Amino acid sequence: MTILQICQWLNDSPVGTSIRESDFSFDLIETAHVLGITLMAGTVAIFDLRLLGLALTRDEVSDVAGQVLPLTVAGFVLMVVSGTLLFWSEATKMYFNPAFRFKLVLMLAAGLNPLIFHRTVYRKVSIWELSQRTPAVAKTAAIVSLALWTSIIVSGRAIAYFH
Amino acid sequence: MKLRLAVFVAGASLLAAVPALAHHSFSAEFDGHKPVRLVGALTKVEWTNPHSYFYIDVKDDKGNVVNWGCEGGGPLALSRAGMKRGDLKIGDTIVVDGYLAKDGSHLIDARRVTLPDGRSVYGGSPGDGGPPDTSATSKK
Repeated sequence: MTILQICQWLNDSPVGTSIRESDFSFDLIETAHVLGITLMAGTVAIFDLRLLGLALTRDEVSDVAGQVLPLTVAGFVLMVVSGTLLFWSEATKMYFNPAFRFKLVLMLAAGLNPLIFHRTVYRKVSIWELSQRTPAVAKTAAIVSLALWTSIIVSGRAIAYFH
Repeated sequence: MKLRLAVFVAGASLLAAVPALAHHSFSAEFDGHKPVRLVGALTKVEWTNPHSYFYIDVKDDKGNVVNWGCEGGGPLALSRAGMKRGDLKIGDTIVVDGYLAKDGSHLIDARRVTLPDGRSVYGGSPGDGGPPDTSATSKK
């Protein structure tokens, strides 16, 4: 089975079809998707701005992480569940959509960034946060994260502008 | 502090720019200066989100039949405008008033659809910034 065939199968499945042809579900799921992204990207941005020394500088980096991360996870779950349902209903169209393909690559990068960050420089956060000086590697990760999430939102919006 | 304010303002204006109703703006795809009226037999209906599509066979000046796509609002927008899914039957002759696509393809934005029973329904996407519905006060 090719990826296109899987997309067509999802697209034509009862779940995909009922969302695509629904009066309300599609709009409600779309709304949930935007709220999920807002919560996820918003809280990610708070943490990134803290790393860059631009927000919540009176709190330790690990303090901010502890307060913000649960909200990030909640936003992530809402975003992924709603995004999956939207994809399900338009899978064949999305397969051919250049903006969606670009967004997939960006999302992969946005997923790898925190994986690397948490396994490397963040492991020693308790040491460097005391010196009030964020390592350049951590600041780079923050800038990359802000740039990726901004691009993901823009390319997500751009999906509507391609046939 | 100034930078923080700047970041906040930039973020807030980005959020405000997200359109509340329309999936994409009218002008991204269609030309408001190129109105068109198509009359033809319905060949296919896609009653789908985020846009519905009606396909009709239209005869051009030389007598050739060309299949045109008409993009309309989603199922909810159309039902609220007074069109039900069953109102459109394959083979029916319908009249679609709309605007041509900018890319010159056989696609129009369906602003008003006139059904065989004479009912005229607004077919566009509400709030997409397209031209106003001039025949809104005409027969229902």
